[in-house]
Amino acid sequence: MPVIEYKCPNCGSGMVFDSATGMLSCPSCGRKDNIEQIPDPLKQQDFSEDNTQEYHCTSCGAVILTDPETSATTCSFCGSAVVLSDRLTGKLAPAMVIPFAVSKEEAVKAFKKWCRNGLLTPSGFMSADRIKGITGMYVPFWLYELHNHVEVHGHATKVRMYTSGDYEYTETQHFDIYRKIRLNYVKVPIDASEKMNDGLMDKLEPFPYERLKEFKSPYLAGYNAEKYSYDDEALFPRAKDKIREFIEAYIASTVSGYTAVSYTDKQIDTESKQADYCLLPVWMVHYDFRKSNYAFAMNGQTGKVVGKPPISKAKVAAWFAGIFGVSFLSLKLISWMMGGGFL
Amino acid sequence: MKRHRSVWSLLTILMIFTAYLVFPFQMAHAANDNQLIYDEAGLLSQEDKSELNAMAHEYGAKRETDIIIFTSDNPEGRDVQEMTEDFYDEQAPGYDKAHGNAVILTLDLYHRDIYLAGFYKAKQYLDDGRLDKIREKITPDLTDGDYKLAFEKYIKTTYKYMGYKPDVNPDNIFFNIWFQLGGAVVIGGIVVGIMAYRSGGRVTVSGRTYEDASTSGVLDHQDRYIRTTTTKRKIEKNTGSGSGGGGTTKGGHSHSGSRGSF
Repeated sequence: MPVIEYKCPNCGSGMVFDSATGMLSCPSCGRKDNIEQIPDPLKQQDFSEDNTQEYHCTSCGAVILTDPETSATTCSFCGSAVVLSDRLTGKLAPAMVIPFAVSKEEAVKAFKKWCRNGLLTPSGFMSADRIKGITGMYVPFWLYELHNHVEVHGHATKVRMYTSGDYEYTETQHFDIYRKIRLNYVKVPIDASEKMNDGLMDKLEPFPYERLKEFKSPYLAGYNAEKYSYDDEALFPRAKDKIREFIEAYIASTVSGYTAVSYTDKQIDTESKQADYCLLPVWMVHYDFRKSNYAFAMNGQTGKVVGKPPISKAKVAAWFAGIFGVSFLSLKLISWMMGGGFL
Repeated sequence: MKRHRSVWSLLTILMIFTAYLVFPFQMAHAANDNQLIYDEAGLLSQEDKSELNAMAHEYGAKRETDIIIFTSDNPEGRDVQEMTEDFYDEQAPGYDKAHGNAVILTLDLYHRDIYLAGFYKAKQYLDDGRLDKIREKITPDLTDGDYKLAFEKYIKTTYKYMGYKPDVNPDNIFFNIWFQLGGAVVIGGIVVGIMAYRSGGRVTVSGRTYEDASTSGVLDHQDRYIRTTTTKRKIEKNTGSGSGGGGTTKGGHSHSGSRGSF
């Protein structure tokens, strides 16, 4: 049976992960178990790889309806937290997890606060009273360790200007530059879920890596989780792409003191030393506004909210008018102070 | 909502203000019948003459200066500066009093010479440099024989330049209303654009976030000097500012001036 539930040893109710204490807790009798000390039922289980298509809830026996990517969910019939163990073992076993630190109530509150702070969002949206659904989701990420060997050749100039007599001189010094750099990045996160918008997930960073824990399935109890859709090799190009700008910035920081630099040759050799499969906590907020759906994501540790809110044309116009007016008057004032007439 | 309304009303006020700045003289103005256009060479039709006369009155009143145009066939072949000075002494123009604030544009059709002179307030506000600028602006039109257009430009530019304090560059881009409007539009657009762009959250990580500083670093570097190239440019000297253009009339009125041909 590849379905795991966490039954309270005291009262038999289903236990769930509690973000406030970081323990597996029983909502009925209040029992709390330290996840790091209890044995993970996932490890004890011995199941054959039979590619089960159907999962049954161990509490009520109903069929658990899931997407093919889901690895943890709640039974839609009785509400028990269930973990689908065959989607978390073998090749699909996560190495690490960052558990949720923001509870559902806190997430709703943080989201409402974020909505109120939107400078361009319509006032109807700011009240944030139309949250259609909020889901705590462990999103699969690959954390890459990337080693880069960089070699760049370039041409740099230093320009100095001075006047002597009736002439203005421009003196340009030319240099050949060369840099050999070793640049290692660790735990670069790339989301491996097909469903998640890459741009949205990139904006959620940073995740607090000091909270990374060895993966144990009870962390998922009460939340949704997904397995990865792409393996680390498939996502390696995206990881390379992501650190490309970091590398460029680093190279630029090593070439300083010049007026202009142009690179004639840039060799960046990126090697993936390691890629760890991790589950990171994200609150997904679905929101209805004027018959459109908006999706937002919140970092389940830091509470950072990302996602495109609707934009109010009236507010854009008002802000534009205000800034235009202030800038115009400032420019007028500058011109007046320089000696031009005010009118 | 109340806050929005106040912003909108601010916008409306700005629009009106702007319209007033861009089209300052849409209001009808009672023309004075005092003569300012002395077209002895007969370059203008009667209609054009009275039109320019009204215009010169309208703009000159705002600057308390008589804006005068004097054209002559100059059959005696006199010097254009001397003609201008004598004209001022004889006609005794001036907005405030006889021999008062005046700017005179003299066209000598005999030598095809042009002379601009500023007296009193106009001398202070229209120094030789500014008069040079005005002259350069209208000379092409005079050469083309488009006298009316040239005279209109002369009146308007005189009015405009006298609105700036003495000794500043009147063509400074910051004084240009279109630059000010355009600049404000650009600033507003950029700021609102950034606000809209950032509304969806932004990336707050950099290379530092994931860099393993203990193993990263520059292994080898070289900055090899190759050569130095030097270019030189002659510094343009500002000529013509100074008392070269101006002078004093026989009647003892000192003036600024600018001279050229067309």
